[in-house]
Amino acid sequence: MKPDLHEIWVYLSGTPLLALFLTLAAYYAGVVIYERADRHPAANPVAIAVVTVAAAISIMGIPYPKYFEGAQFVHFLLGTATVALAVPIYKGLAALRGRIVPLVAALFAGAATSIASAVAVARLLGADASIIGPLFLKSVTAPIGMGVAERIHVSPTLTAVFAVTTGILGAVLARSVLDLVGSKAWWQRGFALGVAAHGIGTSRAFSVSPEAGTYAGLAMGLHGILGALLIPLLYPYLRI
Amino acid sequence: MIAGLVRILFFQGLGELVSHFLLTLIPGPVVGLVLLLGWFSVRNGIAQDVDTVATALVQNLGLLFVPAAVGVVMFWPQLRAHAMAVAAALVVSAVLTIAVSALVLKILSKRQAQNET
Repeated sequence: MKPDLHEIWVYLSGTPLLALFLTLAAYYAGVVIYERADRHPAANPVAIAVVTVAAAISIMGIPYPKYFEGAQFVHFLLGTATVALAVPIYKGLAALRGRIVPLVAALFAGAATSIASAVAVARLLGADASIIGPLFLKSVTAPIGMGVAERIHVSPTLTAVFAVTTGILGAVLARSVLDLVGSKAWWQRGFALGVAAHGIGTSRAFSVSPEAGTYAGLAMGLHGILGALLIPLLYPYLRI
Repeated sequence: MIAGLVRILFFQGLGELVSHFLLTLIPGPVVGLVLLLGWFSVRNGIAQDVDTVATALVQNLGLLFVPAAVGVVMFWPQLRAHAMAVAAALVVSAVLTIAVSALVLKILSKRQAQNET
């Protein structure tokens, strides 16, 4: 007796296999496209993977919670990868030497600007609290930002989506903005990009200059730690 | 490689415990990150197997937030209603954050250089 297609489908969609396969395959496709596009920041593999998976589960009629149930194995590793960020941060700390005052000042100024400007513009244009909350975290690297989002009760999903969008915007716009303000030294350009656009900005910076990349990575790590320490404390007073 | 993974998971667990009982506002993995940084400075270096595992994880970080980000399908109506506000906030904020950070660095490092000479 031949099992019919429907039966096979019911069997497969009941295991985590389908969700895991979809997630990894979509991300792999994203990476291939990114490489083909000469690593242009607009061809971001995460954005491609998210759009692909979202389209696939909508077409197949899989509700999101069911997909997430299967994909949670991937999601779990996010915490482990966050701990692992200690390695690139530790390696980058040597770059702080002799420049600690300007770097720390720029970090605080950049972090404050990121939150104040995003929240002010969104409020002015009438966005509600569920949108504004995740904007507090969009310049913090996504794995850390999503962890903080859970603590301050804003959506980790929107935090991730805003963070990835911010990373892409920062990577695409950085050159013009940095030229406009007359920033010349590679370490300064890299650090500014890392403060604003975390991981995606960092890989962009590395593709332009190793020195810029090192400082962008340092900025991303420090901004992540600073954000995790301060945003949960400040958020209750700033959200209104 | 397994030795490295065990150590990283150990620090993640330690971070979760500290976060749960002492620092409830800070996510466990971030506490684990800071503890691991402390461990590196005590040891004055990074063990090879920890380096190998951490590098593999960090290089594929993007993959790990795909499952959560796909949840955006549940926010479509809200995002569409506030599309202008979200787009404007993200663009303005990205531009200003880069500009302000770069300007602070430029001004302060110039001043520092002047003080040293």
